[in-house]
Amino acid sequence: MEGFPFISVSMILPLVGSILILFLREELSKGIAVIFSGLVFLLSIVSLFFFDFSKTDRIQFEERYSLIPELGLSLHLGFDGLSYLMYILTTIVSISAILWSTRDHQISHRLKEYYIWFLLTETFLLGVFSSIDLMVFYVFYELTLVPMFFVIGIWGYKLRMYSAYKFFIYIFVSSLFLLLGIVSLAVQHYRQFGKFSFNYFDLINNRYSLEFEVFLFLLFLIAFAVKTPIVPFHTWLPDAHGEAPTAGSVVLAAILLKMGTYALLRFNIGLFPEASLFLMPIMVLWGIFSIVFASWFTISQSNVKRFVAYSSVSHMGFVVAGMFLLNTEGLKASITEMFAHGLTSAALFMMAGFIYNRLHSFNMQALKGSIKFMPLFAVLVAITGFSSMGLPGGSSFWGKFLTIVGAREYSLALAFLVIVGAFFSAVYVLYLLKTLYLDTKEESRLIHFTDIRGFKLVAFVLMVLPMILVGFLPFLFFAFYEGYIQSLLTYLSTRLMGG
Amino acid sequence: MEQLVSIEFPNISLVLPEIVVLITGFLLFSLDLFYKRLNHSLAISLSLVGYFIAFLLLVLNANLKGETFYGLYVRDGFSTLLQAFMVLLTMALLAFNYKYYKHKKSLYGEFYYILNFALVGGMFLVSSYNLIVLYVALEALSISFYILTALLKSDFNSKEGAFKYLMLGGLSIALASYGAGFMYLYSGSLDLRYILTHIGEKEYLLVLGLVFFLIGFAIKIGAVPFHFWLPDAYQGAPTPITAYMASVGKLAFFAPLIRLMPYIQEHFAYAWIITVSLISAFTMLYGNLVALVQKDVKRLLAYSSIAHSGYIMAGIAVANLIGLKAVIYFLIVYALMGFGSFMVLALLERVPHWEHKLEQFSGMRFSHPLLAVSFMLILFALLGVPPTVGFVGKALVFMALSFGKLWWLAFVMIVATGISTGYYLRIIALMFMRDSKERLNLNLSKGEVFTILSIVIAVVLLGALPIILWSFVSPSAETLFAR
Repeated sequence: MEGFPFISVSMILPLVGSILILFLREELSKGIAVIFSGLVFLLSIVSLFFFDFSKTDRIQFEERYSLIPELGLSLHLGFDGLSYLMYILTTIVSISAILWSTRDHQISHRLKEYYIWFLLTETFLLGVFSSIDLMVFYVFYELTLVPMFFVIGIWGYKLRMYSAYKFFIYIFVSSLFLLLGIVSLAVQHYRQFGKFSFNYFDLINNRYSLEFEVFLFLLFLIAFAVKTPIVPFHTWLPDAHGEAPTAGSVVLAAILLKMGTYALLRFNIGLFPEASLFLMPIMVLWGIFSIVFASWFTISQSNVKRFVAYSSVSHMGFVVAGMFLLNTEGLKASITEMFAHGLTSAALFMMAGFIYNRLHSFNMQALKGSIKFMPLFAVLVAITGFSSMGLPGGSSFWGKFLTIVGAREYSLALAFLVIVGAFFSAVYVLYLLKTLYLDTKEESRLIHFTDIRGFKLVAFVLMVLPMILVGFLPFLFFAFYEGYIQSLLTYLSTRLMGG
Repeated sequence: MEQLVSIEFPNISLVLPEIVVLITGFLLFSLDLFYKRLNHSLAISLSLVGYFIAFLLLVLNANLKGETFYGLYVRDGFSTLLQAFMVLLTMALLAFNYKYYKHKKSLYGEFYYILNFALVGGMFLVSSYNLIVLYVALEALSISFYILTALLKSDFNSKEGAFKYLMLGGLSIALASYGAGFMYLYSGSLDLRYILTHIGEKEYLLVLGLVFFLIGFAIKIGAVPFHFWLPDAYQGAPTPITAYMASVGKLAFFAPLIRLMPYIQEHFAYAWIITVSLISAFTMLYGNLVALVQKDVKRLLAYSSIAHSGYIMAGIAVANLIGLKAVIYFLIVYALMGFGSFMVLALLERVPHWEHKLEQFSGMRFSHPLLAVSFMLILFALLGVPPTVGFVGKALVFMALSFGKLWWLAFVMIVATGISTGYYLRIIALMFMRDSKERLNLNLSKGEVFTILSIVIAVVLLGALPIILWSFVSPSAETLFAR
């Protein structure tokens, strides 16, 4: 299997699945979707044995097909440690989202389209994380919008059309700035080297004046700050996540948000080191600001899906703040948190969807004590909740802890600010858990609730298991990106020394 | 002057495609003249054969380059490329015009040969630097358009649109020829290449001439503030003709402006950039803003056509090589998208009580899946969502703007595209997110299905594999730029 094109096969398999669904009977679509996303998941597990964890700073599984040689445009795919972790996250979340959908009452009509859109999303997401060519990255980045637009708009809850519009317009318009930024990079490359290129490894050789670099940084930042999102650019998120069907919210929160932070780390920091250093204090403080404000918004929500959605914003604040600390601990924290949040937010949205199926309400008041007679589900949700809160042993612990350590390297005050953020984010999770477990309610209605089982159980466990792994064996995950972080930091310091 | 002395027979082989189209036109003319009841399938087949031969001649002699008629006519990669698309689109038009006009009870034999004359006008318009030839070609194309617009029996809107078009079209041609006069005064030549490289006294004459010339063409392409005729003409015209104006018309009217681009000299580049970029900014903002409030989809797409003129003008403003390539690329792909979008409307018009109202599109996913999916892809292309051609066009224009450091225009374009998201998405959402119980009473013929599918496939495929179109656009732009 050495030299096996893991990436393109993982991208083509869902495409094949969606074509099959298009031409076969509607009853078969569930099965085909599960099989093909399952195959991609298996492939990602197999690829673990072929990924060289000692060289996570290098591009592995590389593939390259030229598109427009004159403009230096090529379909250049590959994984380094960071994108490989995102690949694993994508395949896990995709299979569990599809498994969940097969038993979701909300998905009872237009099955063919639904599973086609989901499989396409998986292909596009893999494209986003594996593209080394910026233009191809952009194409996939935009393409992920289209399936999600339809998923929210067709199978969502009450305000679905409004939310779908809002989602599409926010992300589409903000990413036009990114497009302008990307083509400007290629033009700069032409000015300095006499040829156009969109390849990341060509573009890192570009040099700019500080003003222009900050300008480009901001062009990229507009797109990714909306996508991530950072307060105050988050207003599309509660609507989109709140109104999407469960599996849609899962994919949105777990992977689509990571596209923003992934790109911030890869492109904003990788391509514009001087501007990153220049804007570092602002970005870190902005991240912490985002944590605190999003936490406040979270606590005041009465709709549990919106609650989870806002909590995502606050978690993304940690990712941004950690990333722009620009030291080993900060970057480690940031990447770990990306992965961990992908799992916890997915699981929390599944929780919301599961309870909705029983109670037909997203209202926090209606949720009171609703989990009492479902012991297995209660345990899984508890693990998720404590992981999200950042209890030691929980998956988000490492993200928060290492951010504090990283901030301490600069100043005690900064570390204290991060602790304040961590405190607020613990408050809202505790509030959620209290509502679910401790508040009382007349129990006669609840006693008939059946516990989680079947495909939904599998989907949930697929999220919870890695959560426990991250919590207790973090070094397994650090192995993905330790080399990457070291090489990034070395690169940054040589660039800043004027190299 | 020397050329006139040594009169030899002009090289006919360069203009063979035009001659073929013209001969087909005259054949159709005599057919219509001598037969009392025109056999429409005969007329269609005859036109198709003529166009196909012309297309073959263009494709097989794609490398043919040169000038003929003593420099009045130029064949280069650019003209061949644009002409090939014009002929293709005209052929595509014949796939659905018959049923449309039959439904409207307005079958006329004139339609066929006027179409040929329009095409010949367009083909000459893209392949000349000479002001007189441009003038004659412009007239040929415009007069054909006036007639084609009015060619709907007992439809008041069609007449109104044609009349408005006639009035402003006449004005535009008057202005353009006035400008041509100034340019002749300045240089003593009618050849744009000579005029723009000539260094003479009284440069204000050149600037005046260029300004009038530009305004004349700005009216034709519907640039703000000279756009008033366009929505009415597009809405009033028979929808196949709207498709034709939005595709072949745009290709032809933009071509002379594109031919000017490489000759924009340093000493008046500044004035050119300011003027064209301002017109471009207003055009895209206005077109998109007004499209946002339209309830009638045909009119909405007419405004979207204005907005797209703005995007193309943005590329023209940056008179550099990458801008030239971007403009040619965007122009061709807009012709495809514009044609496709109006063709969908033309097909839908056969549905009883169809009025192009927005609400009528709701639930089209169920009532006519094929048209819904095609229309969705075309609208995404117009919006500029990858991997469609519209995206590649916009990316190239952004690249040109970045190259020319016209940042403000790039930001205006982002805002304008952002506004356009609103109305394109609304149609898509209506089609796919609403339910509809009944199916539309609309049977498409095989030719129609084939045509619409090939346009949609071209829109997606040429965007996903941009190298296909790029390999034609890039050399043609380079020969233009090499002077």
